[in-house]
Amino acid sequence: MTELNQIDLRALAAGSKRTWDAFVVAATPLINAVVRRALATYRLSEDDVMDAAQDVFLRLCANDFRLLKTYDPARAGLSTWLAVVSRSTAVDYARRRRQATTPIDEVPETALAVEDRHVEKLKIPDGLLTERQKLILKCLYDEERDVAEIAQLLKIDAQTVRSTHHKALLRLREHFKGETS
Amino acid sequence: MSTERTSLSDRELWRSLAADDVAPVAVSDMDFAAWLEGRLSEAEASRIDAAVTADPGLRRAALELSDVLGKPLPAPPPRMAVRGQALVGFDVEKQMSRGPWLATLLPAFAMGFGLQRGALAGMAVVVAAVGFMLGGGLGESYATQKYASAESSGVTLSEPLGRDTTNELNDLFADAT
Repeated sequence: MTELNQIDLRALAAGSKRTWDAFVVAATPLINAVVRRALATYRLSEDDVMDAAQDVFLRLCANDFRLLKTYDPARAGLSTWLAVVSRSTAVDYARRRRQATTPIDEVPETALAVEDRHVEKLKIPDGLLTERQKLILKCLYDEERDVAEIAQLLKIDAQTVRSTHHKALLRLREHFKGETS
Repeated sequence: MSTERTSLSDRELWRSLAADDVAPVAVSDMDFAAWLEGRLSEAEASRIDAAVTADPGLRRAALELSDVLGKPLPAPPPRMAVRGQALVGFDVEKQMSRGPWLATLLPAFAMGFGLQRGALAGMAVVVAAVGFMLGGGLGESYATQKYASAESSGVTLSEPLGRDTTNELNDLFADAT
């Protein structure tokens, strides 16, 4: 079976049927996995998964392969780009179906919590934290992800996540020292 | 009751603060994929970091995709690939490999687009002229033939009709009287 990175992109964008067939076979496992995962929170049927996956293929070949022609191999691997396209297509599909329901177990606690408006939140001043530090704190505390997941996401090792987190909190504590809630 | 923020746990401290989230900026699929692969420069990555921090939807997408891409993929239903393959037919490939049909008639067609257009225009003029002459000739010979056969069978017919409108009208009024 042809791997995704072995696909002749020029022939694919030119409309070669043989290359398209090989591409579909190579891309289907990834598209299936991404679409299935994206639609999981919407509780849609197996037919919906099939239709959303078909939407992905349709988007790729529509208008003389216009979307496929925007792919730049110098910037990212085909698998990653295809995963991004598949997810956004699946989410669009689910929104069209308007059946968005999320199992309560999958919702982070922070999203369910009723905000106590009496507690004044202090604004973190611009420039106190880097964007990377803020992202790591958001993933840890708002998304409730563990260090390993964040390391995998940011393509850095777990120790770097821990030290970035530690430095960020030191800066916050230093800045807000003496502030009262 | 007042509590010093420094005595709070890390989680409590974070939740007592409001991160200065900027409005979500549009991130293209290509940029997002490059960010997920860690291929961007520090400045470019920082822009996407900010967008992912500010937009919970984008953050969920990033975490979800990172998870899917880091695991072995399950086998898809066979029907999924069959349906996908059916979207592109053989016609496109045939056209691609065959090239313009005129190229088979005129091998020198590949020489240039200007030549192709010129030859096409010339051929169109020739076809139109031949069609015009052929159509006119046939019409005339048919009318003559019809007149001759009617005359031989004793039926009186006016002269073969002229093809201009005035003659046709004259013939029509003559028949009516």
